[in-house]
Amino acid sequence: MNSYVIGQQLVNGVVLGSIYGLIAVGYTMVYGIIGMINFAHGEIYMISAYLTAITLAVLTTWGVDSVFLALILTLISSIAFTALYGWTVERIAYRPLRRSTRLAPLISAIGMSLVLQNYVRLAQGSRNQGVPSLMEGNLRLVGENPEQFVQVTYVQLVIVLTALISMGILSWTIQKTALGRACRATQQDRVMAELLGVNTDRIISVVFVLGASMAAVAGVLVTVNYGSFDFHVGFVTGIKAFTAAVLGGIGSLPGAMLGGLILGLSESFFAGFVNSDYKDVFAFSILVLVLIFKPSGLLGRPAVEKV
Amino acid sequence: MQKVIKHAAMDALKVGLLGLLLFGPMTGMLLDGYGIHYAPSRAFWLVGLLLLGRFMVVVVMNSPALSGVADLFKRKDRVEVVVSPMGQQHHKILVVLTLMVAMALPFLLSKYWLNVAILALIYILLGLGLNIVVGLAGLLDLGFVAFYAVGAYSYALGAEYLGLSFWQAIPFAALLAASFGAVLGFPVLRMHGDYLAIVTLGFGEIIRLVLNNWISLTGGPNGLRTPLPTLFGMEFTKRATQGGTPYHEVLGQWMEIDYSRAARYVFIYVTLLVVVTLLVYMVQRLKRMPIGRAWEALREDEIACRSLGINHVMVKLSAFSMGAMVGGVGGVFFAASQGFVNPASFTFFESALILAIVVLGGLGSVVGVIVAAVVLTVLPELLRDFTEYRVLIFGCAMVVMMVWRPRGLLRIHRPEFVVEKRVP
Amino acid sequence: MKAWLKGTMAAAVGVWGLAAVAVQAEEMVRIGVAGPFSGAYAAFGEQQWRGAEAAIVDINRGGGILGKQILLIKGDDACEPKQAMAVANRLVDNDEVQAVVGHFCSSTTMPASEVYDEAGILVMTHGSTNPMVTERGLKTVLRMCGRDDQQGTVGAEFVVKRLGAKRVAVLHDKDTYGQGLADAMKAHLHTLGLTEVMYEGLTRGEKDFNALVTKIKAAKADAVYFGGLHSEAGPLVRQMREQGVDVPLVSGDGIVSEEFVTAAGGGRFVKNVYMTFGADPRKSPEGKALVARFREAGYEPEGYTLYAYAVVQSIAAAMQESGSYNGVELANWLKRHSVETVMGPKSWDAKGDLKVSDYVMYQWDENGKYAEVE
Repeated sequence: MNSYVIGQQLVNGVVLGSIYGLIAVGYTMVYGIIGMINFAHGEIYMISAYLTAITLAVLTTWGVDSVFLALILTLISSIAFTALYGWTVERIAYRPLRRSTRLAPLISAIGMSLVLQNYVRLAQGSRNQGVPSLMEGNLRLVGENPEQFVQVTYVQLVIVLTALISMGILSWTIQKTALGRACRATQQDRVMAELLGVNTDRIISVVFVLGASMAAVAGVLVTVNYGSFDFHVGFVTGIKAFTAAVLGGIGSLPGAMLGGLILGLSESFFAGFVNSDYKDVFAFSILVLVLIFKPSGLLGRPAVEKV
Repeated sequence: MQKVIKHAAMDALKVGLLGLLLFGPMTGMLLDGYGIHYAPSRAFWLVGLLLLGRFMVVVVMNSPALSGVADLFKRKDRVEVVVSPMGQQHHKILVVLTLMVAMALPFLLSKYWLNVAILALIYILLGLGLNIVVGLAGLLDLGFVAFYAVGAYSYALGAEYLGLSFWQAIPFAALLAASFGAVLGFPVLRMHGDYLAIVTLGFGEIIRLVLNNWISLTGGPNGLRTPLPTLFGMEFTKRATQGGTPYHEVLGQWMEIDYSRAARYVFIYVTLLVVVTLLVYMVQRLKRMPIGRAWEALREDEIACRSLGINHVMVKLSAFSMGAMVGGVGGVFFAASQGFVNPASFTFFESALILAIVVLGGLGSVVGVIVAAVVLTVLPELLRDFTEYRVLIFGCAMVVMMVWRPRGLLRIHRPEFVVEKRVP
Repeated sequence: MKAWLKGTMAAAVGVWGLAAVAVQAEEMVRIGVAGPFSGAYAAFGEQQWRGAEAAIVDINRGGGILGKQILLIKGDDACEPKQAMAVANRLVDNDEVQAVVGHFCSSTTMPASEVYDEAGILVMTHGSTNPMVTERGLKTVLRMCGRDDQQGTVGAEFVVKRLGAKRVAVLHDKDTYGQGLADAMKAHLHTLGLTEVMYEGLTRGEKDFNALVTKIKAAKADAVYFGGLHSEAGPLVRQMREQGVDVPLVSGDGIVSEEFVTAAGGGRFVKNVYMTFGADPRKSPEGKALVARFREAGYEPEGYTLYAYAVVQSIAAAMQESGSYNGVELANWLKRHSVETVMGPKSWDAKGDLKVSDYVMYQWDENGKYAEVE
């Protein structure tokens, strides 16, 4: 087998995996803190894609020419507005259900996902939208031959770097700051944290905002890289990212990234060397197998049975 | 009152500001190719409506004069009412009445609404099946649609390759789906709560993808046509297509009867009604039998059950495959009423819908499942006139219902635990 | 909550509107328009509705059919077979339509047309190109478009004879339409003595096809055929170009939309992309005035807009001339006569397919426009 092809698939897998990882963070954090699967998270990502395109279009009309500046401004605006959506969704659909059954927020999340999808469809129309490609060019990693080389485009490079940086910032926030400590305390024992003076409702909101921000980062990167989206993209990507979160061990931040990478790589390699028809079957089979042998995911803490 | 209004105005302003930020870019700036096209009036209308609505709501909820109205919309979170034996008498009358109405429906409804009624019955069937798994045994299954698909495809494929008729397909599908449930369930039932949910979701997707990709067997996305159901060799078509005799020719020997297109649907409806009635009875009996008690006990406290010597894997497995079996039967009826199956009918959204039926109905409540299934199938059809807003309203209804009644539409009746007086 | 309010408002307006319509609906010819007005293919539903709406406005202004005005009734199937069945039954039983324009997706037209056929209602699809639509012996089903096998043939001939390709990669989106197209392509490649170097599906709704593109590159394909829609074709072609795969991409009529260019990330990515499509209806002399009117109203009548218009025209002509609303009679009339439509004269064979299939090749240029290949 051609080693250049393997190298190229490795690049493809890592890029795809970083995106999955970024979205998976949202699932994993929400699950960690309130034990609920936030099915609307994929739609939050979809909304951030729209906001990205809107911001880019506005910036173009304002005459912002520098790609770097445009990217930074888009990132900021997309994060801000998407985070607001994340906060509102939590406030409307999940907070009233805080002390309810485990399933009620799940159904409410599914409903919310339908609402967001159709809200965007009604607001922006059902057309496929896109943004023009901003950055051209690529980096040849190996190989001089025009036929055989491994390359990474600049946008892909930006994706992987941004993913790493934002994961770093997030981990630092969770590990080192007072806010992060409060988050972890709430995650471990909500009642106790409340007794110790942590405003857990606020912390949960913060978690949703953080998750949405990461989805927004992913939204900007994906939109700039693939340049195409519609109101439907949240679903497929959401399910994949969610799978990644579970694969890595839901509730664990490094797990989300690891799960994303494994999922991205396995999809790339399976599609590239076996058969792309069955790549999703393969991805889900990996998930099932990992869970059978390691029931709490790769990096998840094993569930403690409280007696 | 003035205080209330002031408070409401402040609140409305805050919400309005939030609305402006949320709706502003999304509804006020329309993407058009790579450019943008401003439509500020849309955003302002929305925000205005929101402001007004919020103001009204706060006023109504807080003013003492209108407290009666506010009480109507208070959240109801209580469950588990103990029904006295007297209450059960009324139940019987209700059951008979419901059955009579259900029997009368085919004569009252147009074919279109009959079709909706069939769909509602199918969802009742699926809801009851999933209710065994989620409601009674407490196993969160997000891939229930897999068994539904297995049922539908075992009819379609069975007819295509084995020449199974509708009546042969029902036990065949039930058996196949149940064994699928057992085989898939065995390795995964050791898992806890949500991991189980995710693995079942994975299985659901795997089955759909395989059905879609295995073209030589299933026809892939083109789907398969299914034969129309027959009764004692009678066919419900104008001309015989499967070697039987059309029903109006058979019955025409004894009575005046003309061919009607509705006959097929009436037949499916009546058969389904019988199956659903039997199933409701069965589930009610199961709940009182040791196995049903074991399910519910396991749902409440697994560790206690295991320490009492209940084989938790076998008990869970029985619930899982029982649910799967019901799902499989539902699939056969779906395939028969559509006359066509393809993988697009078995997406994750379908699983979510069935789960919504179970949760909305109140976990474990049979009546609740029936009511919720009817509501969730009839509602989208009623909304069909608002084509554009149909799914949006449907989604809103789901969220609002959950926020308003998180424990489901109906309270769960527990006739088993009749306590007349509290022990002091 | 806010979106909820919006919905309620819309509902109220809808009820009022319907009530108003119901009053005057008595003496009208009712024609159903069934297609994807929500869901992922709503863009095609919009083309269909615009076309059909424009057609009835024109016909009504000209005195209607047999002196009666036409009323269109919308049925949303979201391209899901289950919903299509519900829509079909509803159009037949509740709305009592006399004919149906649609459905769009082959996967919905096939089950739904059985309902119409049984009820004896004429159904003419403007976009379902799967051969099986008319191959099942149904008496009231016709189509205004070509068939995938014709499209595949034209595509294969072009790829082999004009592009001179030797190593063709065939991709599809695992859906009735896309896969049907890819299969037709594959079959005709075989008759031309060529075996494809790869034949694979991608998942609809995804945007990352890099792994597949690397595979195409490794297979050293010199042409890629894609059966599917623009939402996947756009990212696919962009990722091909980004990885340095500059070979031609050939596709079918599923990418006939300016959105293809948007989805691809700009005009320069769609260079060297070809597609099969019926001779551009926007260019036919009969349609000039109509196209101009659409553009005046700020709408580009692309893709299937004029197809839907022509379908309504044909139905109206059949009703007017045969004086009947019976589906079988209408279908028989159409199969014997030729109709002057906005896309030129059309006539049908005994199966209900167009007698003349006018698939030609188009090429996209770097300005994001398509033009017929000379």
